Amino acid sequence: MRTILGGLSACLAAGPGLAQDAAFDVEAEAQICAGCHGEAGMPVDETTPIIWGQEYFYIYTQLRDYAAARREHEVMTGIAAEYDRDQAKQLAEYYAAKDWPAIQAATEEGDARLANAGITGGQCSACHGKWEGDSRIPRAAGQQPAYLEQTMKDFKNEVRMNAPDKISTMKQLDDATIEALARYLASL
Amino acid sequence: MHLKFLAAVGGVCLALGSGPASAQEETSASTLYGDLQHVTQDMLERAAGDGNNFLHTNGNYEQTRYYPASQINTGNVQNLRPAWIFQTEVVDSLETSPIVVNGIMYVTTSFNHVYALDARTGRQIWHYKHQMGPVTTYCCGPNNRGVAVSGDRVFMGTLDAKLVALDAKTGKQLWETQIAEAELGYSETMAPTVVDNMVLIGTNGGEYGIRGFVKAFDTETGEEIWNFYTVPEDSKGVWATHDATGRDMKRDIEAEKAAYEEMGDPYETLGGGVWQNPAVDLETRRIYFVVGNPSPDLDGSLRPGDNLYTDSLVSVDLDSGEYVCHFQYIAHDVWDLDAVSPPIITQVKDEAGNDIKGILHGGKTGYVYVHDAEDCSLIRFSEPMVSQEGRWTLPTEDGARMLPGANGGVEWSPMAIDPNERLTYAINLHQPMTYTVRSTPYPEGKLWLGGSFDVIPDEEQWGNVTAVDYDTGKIRWKVRTEQPMIGGILATAGGLLFTGEGNGLFKAFDSSNGAELWRFQAGAGVNAPPSSYTVEGRQYIVVGAGGNAQLNYKRGNNIIAFTLAD
Repeated sequence: MRTILGGLSACLAAGPGLAQDAAFDVEAEAQICAGCHGEAGMPVDETTPIIWGQEYFYIYTQLRDYAAARREHEVMTGIAAEYDRDQAKQLAEYYAAKDWPAIQAATEEGDARLANAGITGGQCSACHGKWEGDSRIPRAAGQQPAYLEQTMKDFKNEVRMNAPDKISTMKQLDDATIEALARYLASL
Repeated sequence: MHLKFLAAVGGVCLALGSGPASAQEETSASTLYGDLQHVTQDMLERAAGDGNNFLHTNGNYEQTRYYPASQINTGNVQNLRPAWIFQTEVVDSLETSPIVVNGIMYVTTSFNHVYALDARTGRQIWHYKHQMGPVTTYCCGPNNRGVAVSGDRVFMGTLDAKLVALDAKTGKQLWETQIAEAELGYSETMAPTVVDNMVLIGTNGGEYGIRGFVKAFDTETGEEIWNFYTVPEDSKGVWATHDATGRDMKRDIEAEKAAYEEMGDPYETLGGGVWQNPAVDLETRRIYFVVGNPSPDLDGSLRPGDNLYTDSLVSVDLDSGEYVCHFQYIAHDVWDLDAVSPPIITQVKDEAGNDIKGILHGGKTGYVYVHDAEDCSLIRFSEPMVSQEGRWTLPTEDGARMLPGANGGVEWSPMAIDPNERLTYAINLHQPMTYTVRSTPYPEGKLWLGGSFDVIPDEEQWGNVTAVDYDTGKIRWKVRTEQPMIGGILATAGGLLFTGEGNGLFKAFDSSNGAELWRFQAGAGVNAPPSSYTVEGRQYIVVGAGGNAQLNYKRGNNIIAFTLAD
């Protein structure tokens, strides 16, 4: 019995389509998202993250964290609170299936050295690997540099609280390293 | 009615999850060397004396990683050359122990690919790519440490917390079982162990607030046979104040007791993963494994008590999973200096100098621990293989420096022994770190370290290869390496040790004195345990060179087999 229930739960997790809400129009909902995240995947503002092609489970957990006030944002908190779990999964699936947009990101001399020192010190690659994302680990390669920088500084300054272990790690890095890291990751 | 509904949905899920045939690349078995013969229980039991095959992740049920062939030896190892190189399609951490059955090799990669290769030439026979579910978890790289073989089947655990059985001839998936809930942080990187038609496997997740276990599954059906929770419902223990080496761990026992009264037992999210294979004693029908850290790693305030059986050697009954005995190295660990390197069964001297059946474990503390197999009690611990500077300094909000760092003095890397020399061989890390604590509530399956452990950028790091006399605890010899060591080691009857480094060097040492006798530059980190085998009268050494995500060593995708030049 325990095995069957476990299997059912995993099945639901794997296939949001099994429990789709007929009244929820994911395309229409995406039009609202496009107001900030962009019509073709390129966000309107440089501090807004690219979500086209982002990892399904990461998007889903961020929506749930916004809804539960584990992560706070003046716009996203209210929007995410409107979605139930299945709707959040449908949106996550919708965006995960999109192609990641290419961006132009400039680096400065010495960025790679500083970034790699930070990556090694924080043991970042243990989870983030080659920065391409996987499941609960977000893609950071090719992400908007201003968003990456803001995110890391938000961890460091205890503004973003839904991945608390990152706070201690980011506190080990000075701002120059964080800024170099943001430019370096954006250029990958 | 309710049950029927559940069964129907479960069936749909299994059908979806088992995946289309495109996940495997078929080949004609008739063209193969050998015949992918049935692996019998007798073969598995006699592996310690089998100089042709390599049937277990750590060589044999006792996990000695001592290979009995001696064609490659101290006198000719300078003539060792690559015989072939196979490149997988996954350029990422390789931690696989190649398994060899009658000339056929099975290797795995990050993200759960399996390859069957002709062990003479490296030619691919089949390739299985696991259809990963949407939720995977890994704290330390998307690794896999290899397969287990039995009958005509190959078994692997996956990052989405499944156990899969493959047809050894074709790579086709025969069944898969969900071991635990991936969304809660359960996942698999360890190789399973197969014994008497049972597949034994533990779980990752000590960094995510899981409740750890070792489970046994039926090799034919994938059904669960037994489950041993590594964290009992009463996990408080005896309120131990000192660790296995006698050091004061600076616990505030009164405060912990008060917290325990108020919070209750924290067992449901207490961690206790099992990262590596159990040693199997078929004489007593017991298994021995080590249990990893408590969750959250660095924050003890949320988990008062000794946190049994985290950071412990544990023995359970092979057939029932019933508890037999345990020994806890560190009660209420707040440094992630847990127990991960797989235990070894061998004859050791007891305190009176008599030979008894013992258990060896290389701790992340940097000591080799020697136990009485009968009751798990500690006979002795070795001289420290790495610096113990500042141990035990409690983590602080501002960060406190201590050695060993949280990757330990010995990581998950298996040790090897030479029973003739009475030596055990470990690979070590010297990696100073700051330990920072930050208390946060259980995050429902997300990473839950309770702080962070960070490498100190300006301090020098290095590694060692160390030989320890397990009858005395004395270090016989130690060789320093350029970088901290992670991967594994193999001893052979040729008087040799083989191990690799993050800088791409794969080396052979004289196992009696540590003299370096041979080296090869593999081009990527050699951070996987080596294996050996013999085909058509020719002995080979084989190892993966794929680097390591945890220590950020250069990634690659090579499986390299070596043999003596003609």
